[in-house]
Amino acid sequence: MLRPLPMKHVRLLVMTDDLPQASLTLAETESFHPDERPPESQALAGVPGREYREHYRQAATRLDKIAKLVDVPATPPITQLHVVHPDELAAVGILLRERWEEASRFEESFRRLDDEERFIRDQEASLANFANLKIDLGKLRSKTRFLDFYVGMVPRENVSRLQGAVQLADHLLFNYLERGDSAHVIIVGPRGEGEAELSSVLTSAGFQALPIPSDIAGMDPARKREELQTRRAELAGQRETLRTELTQWGREHHETLVDARRTLLLAEPFVNLGPAVHSAGHLAMLAGWVPARAVAKLDDRLGASLALPFDMTVRNPRPDERALVPTVPARSPLLAPFTTLVKQYGIPQYGEIDPTPLFAVTFLLMFGMMFGDVGHGAVIALTAFLFRRKLKGFAWLGIALGLSSMLFGFVFGSVFGVEDWLPALWMSPLHDPILMLKVALGWGIAFIIVACLLGIYNRVVTGNIEGAIFAPHGAVNLLFYLGFLVGGYGLATAGRFGWVPMLAVVGALSALAVYQWRHLTGPIAEKALIVFIETLDTVIVYLSNTLSFLRVSAFSLNHAALAIAIFTLADMLGTVGTVITLILGNLFILVLEGGIVMIQVMRLEYYEGFSRYFSGDGHEFTPLRLRRGTEAS
Amino acid sequence: MSAIAEAYLNTRISAMSVRLLDTPALTGLAELKLPALAERFGLEPLLDEQLPPRSRARAVEQTLLHLLLADLAILLRPLDATGRGLLLAWARKYALINLKTLIRGKLYGLDQTEIRENLFDLPARVRLPHQDLYRAENVLELLRVLEGGPFRLIARQARESYEQRRDPFVLEAAVDSRYYAELVRQANQLQGIDAQAVQHLLGAVLDRINLLWLLRFRFSFGFSPSEAFYHLVPSKRLLHRERLLELANVDGFEQLLEALPEPLNERLAGAGSLIEVQRRLGGLLHEECRRTLAGGRSGVARALAYLFLREHDTHQLYALIEGRLLKLPQEVVDIALGLAPPNCPMDLPTAA
Repeated sequence: MLRPLPMKHVRLLVMTDDLPQASLTLAETESFHPDERPPESQALAGVPGREYREHYRQAATRLDKIAKLVDVPATPPITQLHVVHPDELAAVGILLRERWEEASRFEESFRRLDDEERFIRDQEASLANFANLKIDLGKLRSKTRFLDFYVGMVPRENVSRLQGAVQLADHLLFNYLERGDSAHVIIVGPRGEGEAELSSVLTSAGFQALPIPSDIAGMDPARKREELQTRRAELAGQRETLRTELTQWGREHHETLVDARRTLLLAEPFVNLGPAVHSAGHLAMLAGWVPARAVAKLDDRLGASLALPFDMTVRNPRPDERALVPTVPARSPLLAPFTTLVKQYGIPQYGEIDPTPLFAVTFLLMFGMMFGDVGHGAVIALTAFLFRRKLKGFAWLGIALGLSSMLFGFVFGSVFGVEDWLPALWMSPLHDPILMLKVALGWGIAFIIVACLLGIYNRVVTGNIEGAIFAPHGAVNLLFYLGFLVGGYGLATAGRFGWVPMLAVVGALSALAVYQWRHLTGPIAEKALIVFIETLDTVIVYLSNTLSFLRVSAFSLNHAALAIAIFTLADMLGTVGTVITLILGNLFILVLEGGIVMIQVMRLEYYEGFSRYFSGDGHEFTPLRLRRGTEAS
Repeated sequence: MSAIAEAYLNTRISAMSVRLLDTPALTGLAELKLPALAERFGLEPLLDEQLPPRSRARAVEQTLLHLLLADLAILLRPLDATGRGLLLAWARKYALINLKTLIRGKLYGLDQTEIRENLFDLPARVRLPHQDLYRAENVLELLRVLEGGPFRLIARQARESYEQRRDPFVLEAAVDSRYYAELVRQANQLQGIDAQAVQHLLGAVLDRINLLWLLRFRFSFGFSPSEAFYHLVPSKRLLHRERLLELANVDGFEQLLEALPEPLNERLAGAGSLIEVQRRLGGLLHEECRRTLAGGRSGVARALAYLFLREHDTHQLYALIEGRLLKLPQEVVDIALGLAPPNCPMDLPTAA
């Protein structure tokens, strides 16, 4: 469970015509992670399927645009698998272009309706403004013998430039209303040459003429409003009709569009292979990583599905390829939420131990110990269970944390902070705080030693022997730590550090210093300073990291102390006050203390654990897949 | 910006300025052959003989742009939000070039692949915010997508002009005006010494652009004074609004140059063509940028000046490489680089 799934490098030689079928089969098995490195042989410099990918991209884009207007399922069920040949893909592209042209007309019609509605709103605002003016605007409706009038709107940001431009054509611009992005303007000037000049400027400025009603002078505002409302209602009716037509259109073409989606989903694996395919003439090469246990099945499936001959070469990953090999994540549903938390730090490199199971166990243990309470644990577990649909995978994390908290609640004999209701299986943390601190210290020491051992193992299996010995948290560091611990224990119990631990500490630190010295460049004084600081750092880091685990017991003490504080406070109040204080106090413990404990546990896991043995610079196994829904979906 | 960040920025700019090309350096480069140029600037696509010259030139242009934008990324780091906004607004010209390419491509019904090949590959913070623009299949769809984003107003006015004239000019002119207006807006948000220095530099840029546009619109395109004025973006330096209104009304090329304020009229006296005006104005702006870079106290203004100069160098280098790829005679390349006067070399050998 801790060890990674063994992977094989697979090189597949197929005839170019068989590529779509090969990619479909690979996607079906869901066991092929493409290797996108360029081929070693220059002869395989060709990139097949460029046109295929282009057709796919165009068709998929069109379908996505159509799907914004009418309902087209993203992953419809596919019962019959078939290879999508380039001609079929091109035909789907043409069909979708026609459908999109039709759908686009609906979109354009909706846009025109939006424009008209906006225009009506502007008209309403403009007319309200006109009604307050003391001039006969009816005279602006038509040009006079000497004067030229324009009444309308322009984008606000164009007004200043337009003002200058009309000035050059001997006209004047009045900005009488600003509304949203638009400015309502009146342009007036003498008739003549300037008039023609102005026309193209107005077009450039996005001028939109506003119609002035013929009877504006004696206009009844209520009647005009009614007219505009009627027009608005007409537009709403048109919009509704358009929606109905669009729905009808969508219904008529639903099957066609779903079929097109299916075709594109079937073509997708070949498109997604992208840079992992290379060719020379009629021969194409695919390379990728496959879990060792899936290789035989893959070979069988290819043999059954490919019409033309093919060749599959399988080999183990070379040491220099280790960083490229994908890691298959832990698939257990019980570990799923913990996998997500581990991924926040990184993905284990191929060959490294998958820290998820260890992370899950230690996470739950530390949380339980720091937040041990039967009542609070039950609330957490119950809440997670009740909200399991919303929390999805994380519901199990909540339940597990709650159960762990309950388990330690029984150990400490604590129910909502009350220590009299249940007999403790062991003892309450407050009964012997020093013992609690010792337990936490012991836990921390074990945690650090195991983390160092895992780090050494990970470096050994990835071929980094020097790192396993000398790198931070390697074997020499561990020797120092063990010597430091034994010596420290001797000092605390018998009053002396001891020769053997002293030798281990001095020897390890000297070895580290010499190793660092040899790897440093620069003046001697600078090297000496760096080595001194690094050595000091090693001592301080191990000491502080060990003491860091005291927080595990500190929080268990804190939990009990907080409960006592709340009970003391509640005792000082009347019945209602007591009830309110107890409820709010327990909520405070659950939310605030629970949250802080979560953060502290994460910190211990990431900083004291992962930083010792987990590089996190691997990448996840993401095999080629065929996306398809089930009948139920 | 903190004093430390300002000091860091100024040091960075000074260190980077060493790479700018002066005339002797450019003359030296003009003598190099393609392989030597490729090696000098890390332009591997130049050496791929299998690609046609157009693809090689395009790949080189893209690589040079990436180098320019890499410099931009370095300069952005120590800047505060306002300074960063200004420099990003400057860089967005490449996104707008992409937008114009898209508009033109859709308008003339070019193939998607062909359009895409002519687009610059830009980093996320510079590129157009809507990937849907690239997926539009015709002008109306493109305008619809534009209407849903920051170019809403441009798109709305462009729709009318497109439906009437099917001419991308108005749309492109609106995009250009908006670009410079946005630069001015960003510059106006700066404070203190930065505001003064940047507005001074930007004024020189706008003076150059306004004069070139005015000459082109009035005497090449035959626009009326009012339409020519409408497309200009007044500067706060020499060619401010009132002066532009006067200049737009001048009816002849020479008369317009004579009517220009000092030092423009002096520097442009006797320039007989738009190309010559462009060359001399380029020289003026170049001097202004060099002055800002050498003696400016504002880090933001120096960064902007550096980017202008670096961009100019990029264009020069691209012209040189394209000349080599097209196997143009050295005399023509020298004219393109501004190393020789723009006279037609009558006795040129026939280009290969």
